[in-house]
Amino acid sequence: MNEQAELMRDTVKEFADKNLKDLALKVEREGIPDAVKEKILEQGFVGSNLPVEMGGAGLDSLSHRLMLFELAKVSPSVAAYVFFHNDVVLKQLSSGNKKDLIQSVISGKDSYALSFSRLSGEKIEDGSNGAIRRALNEKANRYIELDASGTIFAGEGKAEPVKNFKPLGLRGMGVCDFLPSSKEECGTKEDLENILAVSSGDIAALFLGIAEGAVDKAIEYTNVRKTFNEPLKNYEPVAFRIAELKSELEMLKFVLFDEGSDEIRMLMLKDLSASLSRKATKYALQFHGGYGYLEDFGVEKFYRDSVALNAIIYRPVEDKRILASKIYFGKSGFI
Amino acid sequence: MNFDLDKELEEYSKKVREFSLKEFGNDVASKYDVEEKYPDELRLKALKEGIIDFSNPWKTMIGIEEMCRVDPGMGISVTVPYFGAEVLMLHGSDYLKENYLGKVAMGEKIMGLGVTEPGGGSDVAGLKTVARKEGDKYIVNGSKMFITNGTIADFFVMLARTSPPDDPKKRHRGLSVLVVERGFKGFASNKLTGKLGVRATNTGELILNNVEVPAKNLVGEEGKGFYYIMEFFNISRIFVAAQSIGIAQGVLDRTTEYLKKLEKEGEYVGEERKFKLAEIATRVEASRLLMYKAASFLFNYNPNPILTSMAKGYASETASFAAETAMEITGQIGLNSEIERFFRDSKIMEIWEGTSEVEKIVISRMMLKGDKSE
Ligand SMILES: Cc1cc2nc3c(=O)[nH]c(=O)nc-3n(C[C@H](O)[C@H](O)[C@H](O)COP(=O)(O)OP(=O)(O)OC[C@H]3O[C@@H](n4cnc5c(N)ncnc54)[C@H](O)[C@@H]3O)c2cc1C
Repeated sequence: MNEQAELMRDTVKEFADKNLKDLALKVEREGIPDAVKEKILEQGFVGSNLPVEMGGAGLDSLSHRLMLFELAKVSPSVAAYVFFHNDVVLKQLSSGNKKDLIQSVISGKDSYALSFSRLSGEKIEDGSNGAIRRALNEKANRYIELDASGTIFAGEGKAEPVKNFKPLGLRGMGVCDFLPSSKEECGTKEDLENILAVSSGDIAALFLGIAEGAVDKAIEYTNVRKTFNEPLKNYEPVAFRIAELKSELEMLKFVLFDEGSDEIRMLMLKDLSASLSRKATKYALQFHGGYGYLEDFGVEKFYRDSVALNAIIYRPVEDKRILASKIYFGKSGFI
Repeated sequence: MNFDLDKELEEYSKKVREFSLKEFGNDVASKYDVEEKYPDELRLKALKEGIIDFSNPWKTMIGIEEMCRVDPGMGISVTVPYFGAEVLMLHGSDYLKENYLGKVAMGEKIMGLGVTEPGGGSDVAGLKTVARKEGDKYIVNGSKMFITNGTIADFFVMLARTSPPDDPKKRHRGLSVLVVERGFKGFASNKLTGKLGVRATNTGELILNNVEVPAKNLVGEEGKGFYYIMEFFNISRIFVAAQSIGIAQGVLDRTTEYLKKLEKEGEYVGEERKFKLAEIATRVEASRLLMYKAASFLFNYNPNPILTSMAKGYASETASFAAETAMEITGQIGLNSEIERFFRDSKIMEIWEGTSEVEKIVISRMMLKGDKSE
């Protein structure tokens, strides 16, 4: 690992321990507190991966992955908040050359609502009043959106709370129905596709952070919880499952932390990380027994977030098709 | 061999489905889910309309499946006021049957089952709650954790230690079942909130501080409590299998509808997603057959714990497999639909009334002792 990456990892770890750990439950219940957002901005996490000429910190991609990984271990919602701004909003604003708008995000003046599935072209009903329904980020003052002609728009608007609805995952970000009030062009669908095509490593970092957060909790709990007068770690079905999860996790982290990994390897990593995170979070919950089913213990959130994140950003068909076509040296599939 | 339900069951199942669709569609179910509120009026309505029918255990099983297929949290809420009733039916005195069970059956009271404690649920015999006999009463001290109906039940069928085991390896001896009323002095409860799923059901923690329980509230014989509870789990696990199959079937119905709609609109579905659907459907059928087999033993007074644990264990894993896979198939659409709620509800199936691991302990232990699943 290079020095910058190592430093980044230590900084974020320390930051998360000091500023997020004790607030992780509050984040789930009430959303990311403003004070936490301010601290994230102070640390320069938002916009860190943008080139300096665009107003960013020019952080290398390994360091960026490490940052997301360490944040996701403690609070997947906070990590996702940074991810969606850094990997989608700011990059898209960059491709539209909107330096002022970028600055407003980095300074904390603006934050964006987005519906990832709409951005990737999935058909989802509009709110009757033209709202972007169930968009991520309940505290957003701006939005980013794709229209039918393939143009990406950004603009101002208002986030309306969604009644009688609690999102499955990323509760710290929250969801809203976003009512746009202005719009300006901000690049094309192709730009966005190119942006997403290089985000696999960052997405893998989120999934692996979630997996490690959950596995750490499971290790801690199974060390102390006793049934039939024995700690859970003495039971093979518990200890061996944890050992398997840990092995997979360490192997995948090896790739995640490798500077030399190319995009295709990152795509492979994303696929395996998504599935590991589902498995790891489910076992972590299971090994907590009844306590795992309650929010207070901070383990069910990893399970929810893993499945929600899968539904939101993972594109199993598109990604597998790209992988298959690499393996077969050409097109694979019927469309 | 004939796999059809008889006419009476068929009609009952249809009636339950209609009731459920009428009473707890998505809007109603999501409101109770978000608010974490128990739908008490639904309990009374279900009784009044004959949805709760104790005359035939097949009806109970099939009814649970149909209700959970419409909504797990609400479906369980309809049937859970009677949780633990079988213990009183099988071992309660006439006094207990009349004063407690009868009133639950009339809708006048709600009951609960208090077995799990903060220190453990899987290791039932390791419980710490103590009931000390003093004259014509028991003095109960301890606490119970994750108790369904914990803050709404009028009384609990509760397991406590009445005498120390004669041999530390035989901890399951010396446990007894008592009926403990909420109104007894020294009884307190707290509502547990922030559950992942089944949020319409009420869950609480019970605190027992020198609670005086009349000796006539002892269920059956002193010292036999562990066996009564295990016998009960061998019944109730069939009903958890039914809850699980209801969830899995409900998820399957909705996922099938979603893919059908995509195909109709000329959208891409792909074989991968179709195969996943096929896998859910296959597991649902397999789970149901296993449940029917286990139920046919049990309801013919010949329970087979290996089969019961297999049915519960497999059906519960099927429920969470189905829900997770459905989330994968439906993506963002699923996230904003009932499937999301089914997903959260499904996970409890692998935890309550014996975790998946506990079911495997039962199955393997009995098989190695020479018992069989036939
Ligand atoms: C919403 C809800 C409602 C509930 N309702 C009731 C109720 O009404 N009445 C009631 O009495 N209880 C109730 N429970 C409690 C439930 O039955 C217990 O949570 C369950 O039995 C597991 O016990 P535990 O939580 O103490 O987990 P533990 O027993 O501490 O187990 C923790 C983990 O270790 C595993 N494990 C334990 N021992 C072994 C072993 N030997 N080998 C391998 N793995 C092992 C378990 O499978 C589990 O994964 C409810 C729970 C919930 C969450």
